Amino acid sequence: METRVGSRACACVALLLFALHACLGHEHIKLQEDEETSEDVKFRSPGEDQVKFMSPGEDQVKFMSPGEDQVKFMSPGEDQVKFRSPGEDVRVQVSGRALVPGVRTQDWISNARVLLDGDTHVGFIREDGGFSVSDVPSGSYVLEISSPTYRFQPVRVDITATGKMRARVVDYIRTAEVIRLPYPLQMRCIGRHSYFIPRETWIWSDFLMNPMVLMMVLPLLIVVLLPKVMNSSDPEMKREMEQSMNMLNSNQDLPDVSEIVTRFFSPPKSHGRAGGGARAHVGGAHGVRGGASNVRGGAPRRRSKINTAVTYSE
Amino acid sequence: MAWLVVRLAISLSLLYTASAVFEDQVGKFDWREQFVGKVRFALFDTHSQASKKLLVATDKNVFASLNSRTGDLFWRHVDKTGPEGHIDALLMYGQDAVVVVGNGRLLRSWETTVGGLKWEAVLDTGSFQAAALIGVQDFVKYVAVLKKSAISLHDLSSGSQIWVENLPDSDTVQYQTIYSGGNGLVFVLGFVPSSHIVIVEYKIEDGEIMKKKSVEAAWMSSLENSCAVISSGNLLCVDQITQSLYTLPLQSAEPTEMRTIHLQTLDLEVASGFQPVLTSTQPNPAQPPLAEFFLQLSPDHHILLQLKDDLIAPLRDFNPSYLAAFATSGEKTFAAVMTPKNDTACTINLFSADTGRRHLDTTIIYHMDPNGGKPNRLYVHAFLKKDDSVGYRVMVQTEDLTLTFLQQPGRVVWMREEALADVVTMEMVDLPLTGTQAELEGEFGKKADGLLPMVLKRLSSQFILLQAWMAHLWKLFYDARKPRSSVKNEVTIDTLSRDEFNLQKMMVMVTASGKLFGIDSKSGTVLWKQYLEDIQPNSIFKLIVQRTTAHFPHPPQCTLLIKNQDTGLGSLYVFNPIFGKKSHISVPALPRPVLQTLLLPVIDQDYAKVLLLIDDQYKVTAFPSTKNVLQQLQDTASSIFFYLVDSSQGKLSGFRLRMDLSTELIWEVVIPTEVQKIVAVKGKRANEHVHSQGRVMGDRSVLYKYLNPNLLAVITESTDIHQERSFVGIFLIDGVTGRIVHEAVQRKARGPVHFVHSENWLVYVYWNSKFRRNEFSVLELFEGAELYNSTVFSSLDRPHPPQVLQQSYIFPAPISTLEATLTEKGITSRHLLVGLPSGNILSLPKMFLDPRRPEMISEQSREENLIPYAPEMPIRTEWFINYNQTVSRVRGIYTAPSGLESTCLVVVYGLDIYQTRVFPSKQFDVLKDDYDYVLISSVLFGLFFATMISKRLAEVKLLNRAWR
Repeated sequence: METRVGSRACACVALLLFALHACLGHEHIKLQEDEETSEDVKFRSPGEDQVKFMSPGEDQVKFMSPGEDQVKFMSPGEDQVKFRSPGEDVRVQVSGRALVPGVRTQDWISNARVLLDGDTHVGFIREDGGFSVSDVPSGSYVLEISSPTYRFQPVRVDITATGKMRARVVDYIRTAEVIRLPYPLQMRCIGRHSYFIPRETWIWSDFLMNPMVLMMVLPLLIVVLLPKVMNSSDPEMKREMEQSMNMLNSNQDLPDVSEIVTRFFSPPKSHGRAGGGARAHVGGAHGVRGGASNVRGGAPRRRSKINTAVTYSE
Repeated sequence: MAWLVVRLAISLSLLYTASAVFEDQVGKFDWREQFVGKVRFALFDTHSQASKKLLVATDKNVFASLNSRTGDLFWRHVDKTGPEGHIDALLMYGQDAVVVVGNGRLLRSWETTVGGLKWEAVLDTGSFQAAALIGVQDFVKYVAVLKKSAISLHDLSSGSQIWVENLPDSDTVQYQTIYSGGNGLVFVLGFVPSSHIVIVEYKIEDGEIMKKKSVEAAWMSSLENSCAVISSGNLLCVDQITQSLYTLPLQSAEPTEMRTIHLQTLDLEVASGFQPVLTSTQPNPAQPPLAEFFLQLSPDHHILLQLKDDLIAPLRDFNPSYLAAFATSGEKTFAAVMTPKNDTACTINLFSADTGRRHLDTTIIYHMDPNGGKPNRLYVHAFLKKDDSVGYRVMVQTEDLTLTFLQQPGRVVWMREEALADVVTMEMVDLPLTGTQAELEGEFGKKADGLLPMVLKRLSSQFILLQAWMAHLWKLFYDARKPRSSVKNEVTIDTLSRDEFNLQKMMVMVTASGKLFGIDSKSGTVLWKQYLEDIQPNSIFKLIVQRTTAHFPHPPQCTLLIKNQDTGLGSLYVFNPIFGKKSHISVPALPRPVLQTLLLPVIDQDYAKVLLLIDDQYKVTAFPSTKNVLQQLQDTASSIFFYLVDSSQGKLSGFRLRMDLSTELIWEVVIPTEVQKIVAVKGKRANEHVHSQGRVMGDRSVLYKYLNPNLLAVITESTDIHQERSFVGIFLIDGVTGRIVHEAVQRKARGPVHFVHSENWLVYVYWNSKFRRNEFSVLELFEGAELYNSTVFSSLDRPHPPQVLQQSYIFPAPISTLEATLTEKGITSRHLLVGLPSGNILSLPKMFLDPRRPEMISEQSREENLIPYAPEMPIRTEWFINYNQTVSRVRGIYTAPSGLESTCLVVVYGLDIYQTRVFPSKQFDVLKDDYDYVLISSVLFGLFFATMISKRLAEVKLLNRAWR
């Protein structure tokens, strides 16, 4: 149970890191990296004259703790002695079953093959999903099912000189680690191959959810909707609002945005008459307020209606 | 934890580097052709007339089902290469097909409609001789397999072995044939050369030997082709020396002598030196064969004979005739015979087998390809029509592996070029300009002759252009009115012309059978083909483009060097790669074995590059060898160097050309053969460009690349194959001076080594025998922070050895081939194309194979966009450039630059051919496919109208205000 919790915590950290990385760039990853692998890594400047060599095999040594290599069946050093025993020619049959859930076998087996170590040994899948690869000499092989549509996890199959067989999880980094799998092999499809990446399509929702657009649209909504919401409230509140608005709008000379835009797009002749332009500007400001008063004019009337209704009910 | 972080960082960086195929690009610029190889067995599904199945088994160890109406594949099963996957026999019963594989090792039964395996049985070892279906009481129940020393009987429905019996005296008797007439007995026929025939009779139920007898036959040399069983168990043999036919009833009680019938009595004679062939037919394995048979007396003489009441009577003589075959439909059996009509055509006629009478209106005319080979196999599918008359279709296979499927009265239904299943080498050649374009080009080529003529010429060419444009518009208009399906842009050799971005090219492919193909890279259409006769089967080919299409009006020119592997003698075949026509240029005779070829950048007065051929006496032959060329060679001889590799002696030697076209030895490197052997030597590709001289480091300094154009990569493998002691050696040798620039040894490693040598790097893949995995290793060479001589590279003046960086990675899959992308100017980042045995082509960014990938991320490495080191190389299915269009048995990948810097053309060949384009840095120089024209134009128009309307509104507003 504890290990599971641990792994979940790990995943959480990873997720967090992912998020951090996405937000802030590489900084955090670098820090993490420093903590973990600082002891054995030398920084190599390109100017150094000697030949650098880093093989994954050497890395491997770091990952393998000596206690881990408990496998007697086949540690990498040992097996070749067994495998290469001369005069003995063991040829065995590797068999198993392949399954694609929800798909009839005859729909996918005609272009699927069983491959051992590339195509050194090839097998075909029977109509019941079973397969066998015959005449396989002793050794260690990676068995995979190659299908252009369905994906299968490869399996490592070890065959000793005596013809004993076992299956284990493929791990190219910790090659000596043994996680046993059942034999005869059970190959289960783990999904379809995804060969394509989706196009970046332009969708309205994407556009609207863009933070920049949200930043623009939300204030706009507030500006448009808030007065209407306020309108329905009581007249005292309204008066207060008006006062505060008046205080905010104390400097009436501040040019209106719409005004500037209109002036910008209007034909140059209006620019010629500077006085007219100025008047228009003032008038525009008036107009806005006039509009507001109109609203005010409409609203009380409506409210009075409500009032009358209330009186009738009383 | 660090592990996770590194992985995370990688997966993030992948998000930006990934270049995958979009789903809507499928089939847009890529195509795949699937092949099967040379057909060894072909069977038609004759059980229903509507059946379209044609089962083939080929020499490429492929078992496939073809659609006989279209020639497409229904399904195909590719077994492993080599003798272990070799298909020995193909038998068919009902819906199932039985295949004997691997010298009689495996017996497989396939369901033929979907191509699923029904059962598979492993047989005992032993060399395969024959297989036959065995019927009992009109039902086919068993299959018998005859080996050199044993016979076994298997159940057809389950594959289980009924019995296996050893053959008597199998060390002296050669058993070759099985026969069963459906009467509960299996006959095994064997013989002792020049002595006697042995007939063993087995009971089907338990394999008990019922009878064994031997009959004198002193003339006997082979059973297989010269003997056949006909008409209720009569063995019939033919012998060329005694010019006689021999018959023997198999079930006769007493071992009698074979009855001799002299061919003279039938007025027949076997051509001298020709081994006569007997062909019989057994339409139903549960019934005895027919009494009629073909006897081939010479390569073009067949005769249909009949055995009746112990007498052999000729039914019909076909002289001359190339091929003859039997076909059965229902109860009737027919014979189809191909006879020559004239030099270019043959006629195929259908005859009734029991009378030899010709069926009326059954003539099919087969036109032979003048550039192809002779027909050598005939497969017939006969069927009865509704009105009880007979109809038939034939498949003709020729020497150049073309399969032609014909229908009455000679319509070619489909054709397959199976030679393309074995492409050896290829080149891509630019297409020529169209006539009008060439006209314009010609204008610049000519010498100026006065102002007015120049103006007139310009005007006339502009007029031609205008005309061409009008014609194009008219065609567009005309096509637009026609329905979509009928407008099919047929690519023909006349309409070929270069497109805007030079994306369409001519693929010149050389196949192992000696057939050359010119294929349009855009559609995969075969535009021309040329069969070169009398090519040895194991020849080595080298294709050289001597002159491209850039030198109008000189035609492009390709030269094919054909070298016999045994004798080393070579010959040259010069042709035009666009039209496939042989050039009439005189070709130098090559009396000595050719060791090396060298294509020089020197051109003759006709703009053809000069090809040097070095023979085993180190004499050099130049082609073309005009005076002009020889003069140029004399001038530049001191700077022409070449190298020779002798892998049997482990010797690499460098030579320099002398003025008189002899050579002098300059250097020699000997790699002792008792320790390691040279596997491969590769220089860099001549047409590759390197755009940047160095790499900008994180601290803004520049690390200059070591760009030695003369560098050779030599790969060796240890002769000791023991797991602990085997190694792979890598030598980087300067081809001019012989100096070993770098040497590396990969311990506990073995081949096969795949490698790419390009720019300043070498990437190689080997098998790590300790950890049993494939590993990639990359070597990069740098000059350092400053260039020694920035203007020109000279191998002779390089005092400082380069700095070499190396890193290795685990590659979690086997590899079948490796190649790198190539673009016009080398600005685009490089990708490695990795062919996987599963048939996918992985496009791996070179970024992952960078020896400067840090183990620890630093400020500087981030600046340089270096991915942190991770031992395991990622494989993502999104990087498979051929998505689900897998290419079986990838043999080579050919990359060619296109006119667009972002685009690299890729051709993958093996059993199949796949052509596509890759964009390693995405399409930065053209608008994307999904460029949203609608959005852009709607936004533009929207803005335009919005300004118009707002302008109007503003005016109204102004006016209103003025009135107030």
